Amino acid sequence: MTLLDRLFRRRRLYDDLSEEIRAHLEQRADDLVARGMSRKDALIEARRAFGNVTNIQEQGRDTWQWPTLDSFLRDATFALRQLRRTPALTAIIVTTLAVGIAASSTVFSWTRAILLDPIPGAAQPNDVMALESTTPSGSWTPVSWLDYRDFRRYLRSFDDLAASYPVALALGEAPRSERVRAELVSANFFDVLRVHPALGRFFETQLDDAPGSQPLAIISHGLWQSRWHGDPAVIGQVVEINRFPLTIGGVAPKNFHGSLPGEDVQLWVPATMVGQIMPTVSSLLHDRGWRTFRVLARVATGHTQRAAADEVRRFGTFMSNVNGERSTGMSAMLLPIWRSHWGVQDGLRAPLMVLLGACALVLIVVCANMATLLLTRATARRRELALRMALGAPRARLLRQLLTEASILALAGAFLGLVCTFWFTRAFHLFVPQFAAPSLLDPHVDGAVVGFTIALACAVTLLAGIAPALHGSRERYDDALRDGARFSAGTHATRLRGFFVVAEMALAVIALVSAGLFYDSVARTREVAPGFTTEGVAIGSVSLTLAGYDSAYADDFLQRVAERVAREPGIRAVSYTDYVPLSLGSGSWEDLQIEGYAPAANENMKTTRAAIGPGYFHALGIPLLDGRDFRFDDDSSHTPVMIVSEAFAHHFLDGRTPLGVRVRGWGKWFTIVGVAKDVKTFRLTEPATPYFYVPIRQVYRPEYGYTFVARGPAATVDQTVRAIEHGVAAIDPSVPVYGAMPLTDYIDAPLRGPQTAARLLALLAAVSLVLAAIGLYGVVSYSVTQRAKEIGLRVAFGARKADVVRVVGGQAAVLLAFGLVIGLAGALALGRLVASLLFGVSPADLSIFAAACVTMILITIAAVLLPARRAMSVDPATVLRGD
Amino acid sequence: MADPDARDLFPGALEMMVLRLLKLEPMHGYALVQRIQQASRNLLQVEEGSLYPALQRLLKEGLVKAEWGVSATNRRVRIYRLTPAGAKHLTQEMSSFERMFQGINLVLSLRET
Repeated sequence: MTLLDRLFRRRRLYDDLSEEIRAHLEQRADDLVARGMSRKDALIEARRAFGNVTNIQEQGRDTWQWPTLDSFLRDATFALRQLRRTPALTAIIVTTLAVGIAASSTVFSWTRAILLDPIPGAAQPNDVMALESTTPSGSWTPVSWLDYRDFRRYLRSFDDLAASYPVALALGEAPRSERVRAELVSANFFDVLRVHPALGRFFETQLDDAPGSQPLAIISHGLWQSRWHGDPAVIGQVVEINRFPLTIGGVAPKNFHGSLPGEDVQLWVPATMVGQIMPTVSSLLHDRGWRTFRVLARVATGHTQRAAADEVRRFGTFMSNVNGERSTGMSAMLLPIWRSHWGVQDGLRAPLMVLLGACALVLIVVCANMATLLLTRATARRRELALRMALGAPRARLLRQLLTEASILALAGAFLGLVCTFWFTRAFHLFVPQFAAPSLLDPHVDGAVVGFTIALACAVTLLAGIAPALHGSRERYDDALRDGARFSAGTHATRLRGFFVVAEMALAVIALVSAGLFYDSVARTREVAPGFTTEGVAIGSVSLTLAGYDSAYADDFLQRVAERVAREPGIRAVSYTDYVPLSLGSGSWEDLQIEGYAPAANENMKTTRAAIGPGYFHALGIPLLDGRDFRFDDDSSHTPVMIVSEAFAHHFLDGRTPLGVRVRGWGKWFTIVGVAKDVKTFRLTEPATPYFYVPIRQVYRPEYGYTFVARGPAATVDQTVRAIEHGVAAIDPSVPVYGAMPLTDYIDAPLRGPQTAARLLALLAAVSLVLAAIGLYGVVSYSVTQRAKEIGLRVAFGARKADVVRVVGGQAAVLLAFGLVIGLAGALALGRLVASLLFGVSPADLSIFAAACVTMILITIAAVLLPARRAMSVDPATVLRGD
Repeated sequence: MADPDARDLFPGALEMMVLRLLKLEPMHGYALVQRIQQASRNLLQVEEGSLYPALQRLLKEGLVKAEWGVSATNRRVRIYRLTPAGAKHLTQEMSSFERMFQGINLVLSLRET
């Protein structure tokens, strides 16, 4: 009978039963009447003989029912009673599960916010990919507006392509303007992402060819709420953006935060308005070599991503040939958003993956531990189960009962874990400090995260519940009842538990080694000298585009602020730069041509640089090895000059005197006037890389974001921070200072991710260590109980305490040995996988492996101590009589 | 009708008896009750109603089949029939029951020494 059949037939079966019972009662009554009873008495007597009709009908029906809610509740109540009877066990299982699940769900919520759901609010986001240009050396670079237009016009694999240039813009009138994260976008941006306005309209798509023709702005839902209090009359209002009036055309939906993964963009302006709102960079619409756009491409239905990627590569190469020297050797590539280079996901991908892996590992350990504990209990409950089977409980029923218990534990763990997750997700800022990425969206617990947690609970139930349940229900009741008095476990259960404990110990070794490796790696990274002074140094940034300054006035402003700050008490040196070393970003570079240096074929001559003010090297304590510092009169009316790094001199000018060599960039020749010692520019872990400095007043800078650098006494760095703020306010109170802080805090930001990852790993390793110890304790302690008689015999025959300990310890030693061997092999294999993420530590670091082994041995001893003491105190007289 | 000293049945006993009776001939529920009481000479305490849940269980296990028919007294009743699986099950149950009964008997018939 199929399930479906039965479902439809059930109703009829019930009716049949009722009719049958009625017929029975009537037949009985007829018989009684035939024997001379009155009809009325006969009916009563028939009912009496039959028993409780309703009850019997129900019993009959129950036969046909599958596990109903009712019987599930019965199972659940029973399970709860069982769990209450062993509160310590229940508490251990639920707590460890909660920790494992909370850690996994938290890291999942971070991963989801950054990698899995990169463009929330977009429809069919999986078809949207990132298109990036590639340099001759194969590294990525943004796409220029003209290249984007060509891609859009000629590529056939896509529905459409959109471009976006992430910038910061000033919103509102000057003194009270606020700095908002914005994207300058192609007019079809919202259409490509398939986002519909919550209010008003988005851009006219056909207006991309006419610069300045669409003076509109779209605001985010959040900005609409915070600045306009959700007033629908906002549509059509004129607002100043970078001091240029734009009309608000529409409001984006609440769940849309722009196209930058994990970031909260609040404003969208057509890229064609760039001439009006950022006049200094307006030529980016006409210059093919000015690569600033991030391109999002929606793959057309019927085209595979692979075919689309092929077309992009072919067309990218074709275009670079057609466009001659501007793009020689370049090409293009297509990437999923989560693998694209623009945005925070690029730097966070690796640490997040490591964390996800670690969480999975711990969760498996938690499951193994739970399985061991449940198995122990299943064995202890052997008699109960056997009895129930002997009384006719079907095996499936017992299986269900045991799985119900596992799922109640898993659900309790998941619930607690979820509560912790709500709280843990906020710890995201330990991972990525807020000032390093102020517009980053807070990851939050949403439906997907809750779903993930529930899925985890189900997986845990199955992983940890199935083995004990199968084991418990496969028990042969006659065996169990027969030797039940002696209460021994079958070899099957013992072996199964040994297996779980070995697995737990192996995973604990892996967790320990990985935590050790990452911790060491972070510590080694911190030991690296950055090459500049951080002590007593404060920084503070201004954005002069926001203030609407032109370049001449900007230069003057910077110098006046620097002089003003230098007059504050205690300040020893002040300067300014457009790039602070060890920032989270990637900095700017320039394509160089160096006198007397012939680049190798395909050599990437794009060299990273900083535009700085006079006194920069003094302020940061970077030694000048040769030549002179920049002076205030190194400006556009004087010969362009350049200071290069040691590595620059070594690589490009091998053996030659650097001073006086001419270098071409920004379309003019610079003369090298100095050589500075190498500093770490992007990461503490980088090797010395060619780098150069130019005077701010001699180069063309598209964006007017500058950072003041001031050095004072280490003890009063907070005063130095305030000195910068006061200095700027004294010169122009309408210019807001942002990101003012001690330099030590600032350069710590890139280390936070790895450090938090290392700390979490250490925590997870500790959890798995404790779990392994609990598992081991359970097994050893159980076997002492079980072998009490044997131990008693040995003692009776003259075994000394040491012998008893050897018996107990021997078992633990075997488990430890297996766990260590498997764990170390696993750790070695894993080390090779993560080697690229480590710095200054070998993935097979002997001391870390040794430390892991010692820890495991100590843990084993600790776990065996109690059972061994119990074994030593076994009194032969008692146990031998006991049976 | 039941003897005051009659005993309750152990689980599975009623099913076994039902199968045994159906092996003789197909019959309906009321007839089964009468036959059990008759055959056991009222030694067994069987609540008449408890037969029906047992029949439902046997139906579900596929050990018996049922179809509607007409009784000797011209009443619409469900007539139960043993299936081949039921016949096989009966043989197994009876032999296992006999062994148990034997075992119990041996123990009970021990003479005092």
